[in-house]
Amino acid sequence: MSDTLSGGNTSAAPATPAAPMVVAEAVSKSFGSNEVLKSISLEVKHGEVLCLVGPSGSGKSTFLRCINHLEVLSSGRLSVDGQLVGFRESGDKLYELHPKEAAKQRRDIGMVFQRFNLFPHMTAIENIMEAPIRVKGQKKAVVEKRARELLDRVGLADRADYYPAHLSGGQQQRVAIARALAMDPKLMLFDEPTSALDPELVGEVLDVMKELAKSGMTMIVVTHEMGFAREVADTLVFMDGGVVVEAGDPREVLANPQHQRTKAFLSKVL
Amino acid sequence: MTTSEPHRSAAGDSLPPNGVGGASALKAIRLKHPWRNTFAVVLVVIFALFVIDAAQRPAYDWPSVGKYLFDSRVSAAALVTLELTVLAMFFAIILGVSLAIMRLSPNPVVKGVAWFYLWIFRGTPVYVQLVFWGLIAIIYKTIDIGLPFSEPWVTFSTNDLIGAFWLAVIGLALNEAAYMAEIVRAGLLSVDKGQEEAATALGMGWFQTMRRVILPQAMRVIIPPTGNEVISMLKTTSLVTAVPLSTELYSRTRDISAETFNPIPLLIVASIWYLAFTSVLMVGQYFLERYFARGVGDRRPDRGTTATGTLPVIGGNQPTVITGAAPVQGADAGDQPIDPGHGGTRS
Repeated sequence: MSDTLSGGNTSAAPATPAAPMVVAEAVSKSFGSNEVLKSISLEVKHGEVLCLVGPSGSGKSTFLRCINHLEVLSSGRLSVDGQLVGFRESGDKLYELHPKEAAKQRRDIGMVFQRFNLFPHMTAIENIMEAPIRVKGQKKAVVEKRARELLDRVGLADRADYYPAHLSGGQQQRVAIARALAMDPKLMLFDEPTSALDPELVGEVLDVMKELAKSGMTMIVVTHEMGFAREVADTLVFMDGGVVVEAGDPREVLANPQHQRTKAFLSKVL
Repeated sequence: MTTSEPHRSAAGDSLPPNGVGGASALKAIRLKHPWRNTFAVVLVVIFALFVIDAAQRPAYDWPSVGKYLFDSRVSAAALVTLELTVLAMFFAIILGVSLAIMRLSPNPVVKGVAWFYLWIFRGTPVYVQLVFWGLIAIIYKTIDIGLPFSEPWVTFSTNDLIGAFWLAVIGLALNEAAYMAEIVRAGLLSVDKGQEEAATALGMGWFQTMRRVILPQAMRVIIPPTGNEVISMLKTTSLVTAVPLSTELYSRTRDISAETFNPIPLLIVASIWYLAFTSVLMVGQYFLERYFARGVGDRRPDRGTTATGTLPVIGGNQPTVITGAAPVQGADAGDQPIDPGHGGTRS
């Protein structure tokens, strides 16, 4: 899967290869009267790595969770690989899909969480094998072989039979990445993947993510690791107060921020 | 313990470096607890006196206990008690899980119905409920199947359809379901919300998430109190005489003693059977708990010594253990990575 992602592209394939992987048009989200996303519009191309940064409460995690419909957007249009996520459009309204159809869409979107969320009652390899077997109905022998390859890829071939409780945070997060990759996703979402880690464990997770980016995976990463953003990201998006304040080439944005709010934020984290 | 602390810091600050050798020569004497031993001896003596006395006291009538313990009437009744327990718990767990899920539903009506059920069945004594079930045939003479407000398709006489045994099972199960619902609910709530999110993000459906991810983890919280409930149910079956059903263990031994005019040995016979059953159940509970505790070791991941992890942890953290009389924690730290399954039962 590392060389090409077009194989899993079964539904309504986009006509041009240049069509973006993720398109967000005026995406808004409110919790009650609290508007956390205010008309977010952005595009992520195939194979692009986009880093979302910003202060806590800026809505970046909420936006990420809207992309695989873990959070239900209030208005706007969000599509992945040409397919509307979580909704069906009819007339001038969006109708939420049945959970079963939403679940089907999520198969193609991998997600990695801040707190790993590995299943503690399953070993590392069982964690990876669970979804391909239960959701995709693949053969156990095939899945196991693939799971071992993925564990090897994240550098944990010797930890296949360890329970999450017996792995370090960095190792758990790498297993979590392998678990998401086992579904052969077209798109990977990372929700602050290194924020819960001890400083000396951050590097091993970022290394796996860099390797993944190099292999051509489309990635959206919510992060506070500016070094990673500078080195790996194609686009850096700075969010604050539920809006995109600034977006562009990460080296430029980090070196020469245009907006006052970006400057203020970067002066604190860099 | 406390005395060694200032010594070490003092050695570091000012004293000449006689350091390591001198410190290790100092023997630490633990605080003695003479009263613990005294109290233990007193307890043993009191217990021994009671046993010797009971063995000789004629009112216990031990020969009769031996005679009736394996009486075929008694063992048949013990089987009925066991059947009542198993069946009632089986239906109680199914209904309890349903009620627990209903109570966690976002639909207020569904939630309300489950709450009302709990209010009724937890709020009234099980004995009273069992008497009610015994009178069910008087309240509802027939059971009709059909559409409301029209002629029923089939009609059964309640008396013919449900015998005393099944009324007892229903009565016990419906009461127990209310308690099981709360136990299951607590178990479901104990599972971190991130687990459901991770399963959802992988494309798993609600039912799959429940069965493969949430319930197996909730089991760790659900099983200990459920074991309690099974044991409690075994004993509550002695109340089904309210239905009335008199084929179970307690009623049967009481009936026998009514013939022999000697109730005490038969009470002991019944107690021995109940004890035997609960003992077996406790063993079963131990193994169930061990199974569902898998993966929940007591070694915290952030205490691990190998961070990037190319080497196995086995034996890797032994150098930190003090030489010589290693305390219990030291021994544990060494063997935990090898045997992840043993954790969870230690307090």
